[in-house]
Amino acid sequence: MKVSYMWLSEYVDLDDLSPQALADRLTKAGLAVDGVESRNQGVEGVVVGEVLSVEKHPDAERLNVCAVDAGTGEILQIVCGAPNVRAGIRVPVALVGAKLPGDVKIKRAKLRGVESNGMLCSAAELGLDTRLLPAHQTTGLYILPEGTPIGTDIVSLLQLDDAVLDVDLTPNRSDCLSIRGFAYEVAAILKRPTTFPTTVDSLESDGPSPLTVRLETDGCSRYDAQVLEGIASKPSPLWMQMRLMAMGIRSIDLVVDITNYVMLEWGQPLHAFDADTIADSTIVVRQAREGEVLVTLDGQSRTLTGDMIVIADPDKAIGLAGVMGGENSEISGTTKRVVIESAQFAGRAIRRTGQRLGLRSEAQQRFEKGIDPSAVRNALARATELLVRLAGAQPIGSMVTAHRGDLPATATTSVRFSPDACRVSLGLDISDADMAGILASLGFVVTMHSDDWTVQVPSRRPDVVLQADLVEEVARLYGYDNIPSTHLVLPITPGMRDGRQRLIEQVKDVLVGIGLYEVRSYAFTSPEALRPMGMNESQPPIPLMHPMSDERGVLRTHLLPSLAEIAKHNLAHRVDGGAIFEVGRTYLADALPLTKQPIEREQFALLWFGETGESLREKSRPYDFYDAKGAIERVLAALGVKATFVRLELTWLHPGRSARIVVGDEEIGVIGEIHPAIANDMGVPGGIYAELDVQPLVKHRTMDVTVEPLPKFPGSRRDIALLVQQEVPVGELLETIEMSAASSGILTGVQVFDVYMGQGIPEGHKSVAIALHFQDSERTLTDEEIEDTVQLVVTSAAVAHGAQLRS
Amino acid sequence: MDFEALDVELNGLRETALKRLGEVGDTRSLADWRVEYMGKKSAISTLSKQMGSLSAEDRPKFGQRMNEVRQALETAFAARQAELERIEQAKRLAAETIDVTLPGRRVPMGAIHPISRVIRDIEEVFLGMGFSIVDGPEVETDHYNFELLNLPKDHPARDMQDTFYLTEELLLRTHTSPMQVRTMERMRGEVPIKVIVPGRVYRRDEDDATHSHAFTQIEGLVVDRGVRMSDLKGTLETFAKALFGPNQQVRLRPSYFPFTEPSTEVDVICVHCQGDGCRVCKGTGWIEILGAGMVHPRVLDMSGYDSQVYSGFAFGMGPERIAMLKYGISDIRLMYQNDLRFLSQFTGV
Ligand SMILES: [Zn+2]
Repeated sequence: MKVSYMWLSEYVDLDDLSPQALADRLTKAGLAVDGVESRNQGVEGVVVGEVLSVEKHPDAERLNVCAVDAGTGEILQIVCGAPNVRAGIRVPVALVGAKLPGDVKIKRAKLRGVESNGMLCSAAELGLDTRLLPAHQTTGLYILPEGTPIGTDIVSLLQLDDAVLDVDLTPNRSDCLSIRGFAYEVAAILKRPTTFPTTVDSLESDGPSPLTVRLETDGCSRYDAQVLEGIASKPSPLWMQMRLMAMGIRSIDLVVDITNYVMLEWGQPLHAFDADTIADSTIVVRQAREGEVLVTLDGQSRTLTGDMIVIADPDKAIGLAGVMGGENSEISGTTKRVVIESAQFAGRAIRRTGQRLGLRSEAQQRFEKGIDPSAVRNALARATELLVRLAGAQPIGSMVTAHRGDLPATATTSVRFSPDACRVSLGLDISDADMAGILASLGFVVTMHSDDWTVQVPSRRPDVVLQADLVEEVARLYGYDNIPSTHLVLPITPGMRDGRQRLIEQVKDVLVGIGLYEVRSYAFTSPEALRPMGMNESQPPIPLMHPMSDERGVLRTHLLPSLAEIAKHNLAHRVDGGAIFEVGRTYLADALPLTKQPIEREQFALLWFGETGESLREKSRPYDFYDAKGAIERVLAALGVKATFVRLELTWLHPGRSARIVVGDEEIGVIGEIHPAIANDMGVPGGIYAELDVQPLVKHRTMDVTVEPLPKFPGSRRDIALLVQQEVPVGELLETIEMSAASSGILTGVQVFDVYMGQGIPEGHKSVAIALHFQDSERTLTDEEIEDTVQLVVTSAAVAHGAQLRS
Repeated sequence: MDFEALDVELNGLRETALKRLGEVGDTRSLADWRVEYMGKKSAISTLSKQMGSLSAEDRPKFGQRMNEVRQALETAFAARQAELERIEQAKRLAAETIDVTLPGRRVPMGAIHPISRVIRDIEEVFLGMGFSIVDGPEVETDHYNFELLNLPKDHPARDMQDTFYLTEELLLRTHTSPMQVRTMERMRGEVPIKVIVPGRVYRRDEDDATHSHAFTQIEGLVVDRGVRMSDLKGTLETFAKALFGPNQQVRLRPSYFPFTEPSTEVDVICVHCQGDGCRVCKGTGWIEILGAGMVHPRVLDMSGYDSQVYSGFAFGMGPERIAMLKYGISDIRLMYQNDLRFLSQFTGV
């Protein structure tokens, strides 16, 4: 909301308060002022002058040489290039020595040999926002109304000495959407009286209105209208144009400007219809018919729905209530009689209509947030007065009023208020008198009975309905700065992470410690990003109803595409490679369309991409499966989770280099090299991906350790080399060995330390070197029993895997 | 032989041995010296064999002299040996000198994401104050995200949070505040409630340097009998001091949120200029870091806590904004781009 300081100062004494000082006070009271802008962008020494004569420049076709009376006591010769210059017009004249916005200084000059003593100005040259001027004023010289006194300083004429406060109003403060409402607030903050003109003159004439109004919907609780005739078609006076401009409203013509001006003054939107387009002189306010079509003022043909409210006559719709008028009832230069509407429409319906049609007018915003019912009639009277005074209009008959149900007897709401409860809830020691004073300054009427007060809140403050609302009014006007800092007086509670939260932090620390970077990516992705993995078929993603782009149109069902995207970005920016992880969610629908909240599956997702990078003692090499597996093993060890890796075939992973990670018979994750075809499709050169589900880790993690006593007797180690076929998984071989020796109770460790293929090994075979560790807690083992166990191990390996002992 | 003659000879041998010991230059020659002067075949050993020719009276005397000399040589030997070893070790170590300025054997570096870092810091502060951490679904119902937070359908304040809908009723939460209601429902009237809720939220904002369609929030909620607005101020002051330093202060400014009443914006002293005024704080010396207020009585009532009996406060802050302030990040998108050249700057946090 833009607020003119000058206009405001008519209603509250601001004499000793600069616009910036006022802005600071407002901000402290909760009306945040984003900026204070002087209307004067640097105009100095510009006055009103009359062009007395215009002659063609002898040497320049587009220039004219003008004789100008600017009240300086001499006739000035000024060269002008504007096409709309002509004798008799009054325009802003920048005299020699004047300043214009953009650090322009006017000097005596010669233009193609002709002396020019100043400059005739356009609106833009004066720093006016031409988007807010009537169309004919936007180009060429800024022609001022006839009779504007010659020599008048343009700064005061155009109210450039005004300042505009840009107030970031919170949506609850509909009362501040008008200068009068704003003045009440300022008066309360400054603890000063308001100085409104006593009453609006009632200029309605006697006799019935020629207009009949029928309300056929609850969406309109009150509808007042006044018919007027004999309106002169002319621009609005300069002072009104400037006030509208200061408040960010474009000047159109006198009638429209008056309706806007009154809206800014009272907060009540008005609308003007051409009375002669209304059939039977009857206005019907009703719900739109489904599919009904109305061409609105902007020339758009709108198809309406049943929940919209229209203003109609018995034959047709003539306007969209509270949102925009219809083209068929628009006033024009030939309009003889107008109907001015001042009504109260239901905010919800207006809001929905605007949203549906993509419209967001000033009127609509005020209806949405709620208007003051007590302003409906006053605003109409004020508009009538201005039309009579400025446009020479004559009222026909009296105002017509229609309403649904009874009009409320009083324009106030009664709220009970406990001053003790207020003190307690704020933790603030404030006296009854101070509280009463603050509420009274807002124009609330306070009746004090010990601790049970009654506060009458005027209808312009529909946001105040509860004790808590009054508490806020007291607090913000007393000053939030005066609220002390205290400590909670509550029972002591343990502040602890739960198991899941602890696990996540722990795993993050492990991963960071072994050289991975945590990333955070967006949950929105596209079916295209999920396509290479076949996710759109196996787990169709949940689409957004109105995505902002196709790239962010669905919720991700897998984390790999997010990480691949990051890898792609990094590789494209000359990063050799890296190891990254995310703790992220995927969103899995049971069925589409969605009928309930989807499963949000929380996972650790890890990706190794590109190369390790060169260092002094190590050559750069591509990351491989075992880098990833080592990291996963490290994480599992940190959590005390014992998992096995089982060969797995998934379409999007390398069929020979992927595994599921299994605890008992539960799959808790996968690991593998991205299938080269999929990587290619995703636009990454490849990489190793792993994921672990958070929930099963929480379930399987062990927190308890029971310490084993340290061995008292020396252990032994025997190394064996087994020859097996290449495809025998070493993991299974080791498992067989452990199992076979389990009964002996003395084999305490099995460790593979070499896998060899090549010279000396038969084709299709490999040699697996294994260290066997023997230990007994009670005694020193004999060579004999160790040899027996080695024999057992070798035999079992032979039976299970066809292994041969290499000598 | 008489005692005197032997003694003279013994002294001569000692002098010679000690003189030669001084000339020994390395441990190997030292071993030779030991054989020559102290071994079984040494001159001293030979001399000792002549002891038998002495009188019974002189024999022990000479034996004692002999021991003295042997002792003296032994001591001198040990000292010389220690000295030589020291010299030789020094030589060896000098030869082992390496270039200590070469880099160490590489251990891969990693880092936690700056947003996570900030979230964890904030969590630690509130855990220390006895809060617990809860989290909840990102896909929420209109009911929890809006209606139970005093934002009925078609409420104009819904404009403050432009929403991604999945269906008419399901949406991506626009704030972590629905967890206020879910927490109160879960606690079924028990007090005290002291929780914080970190999590991802979504709003229909075009991504630019300061806006993101997805970002994180940390919500806080305290409910009990007699919770005051001054407690809110005190709690946030404690928080600000813990996060930004002991000289911090908070400033409350009236504001509006549909689910709190009274509502406030909370500023802290600008972390860049310590309050002197700079570009970051637009010259005010203060920066806004969170929104807060007393839980709206309607929200309490709708969540099963009688607003006549219980009161509470709630607050919400943006870790991205705090990360940007703390680390001087000028563009929020950098934090979602995950460029390793950016992330690797956080190995030290
Ligand atoms: Zn600053």
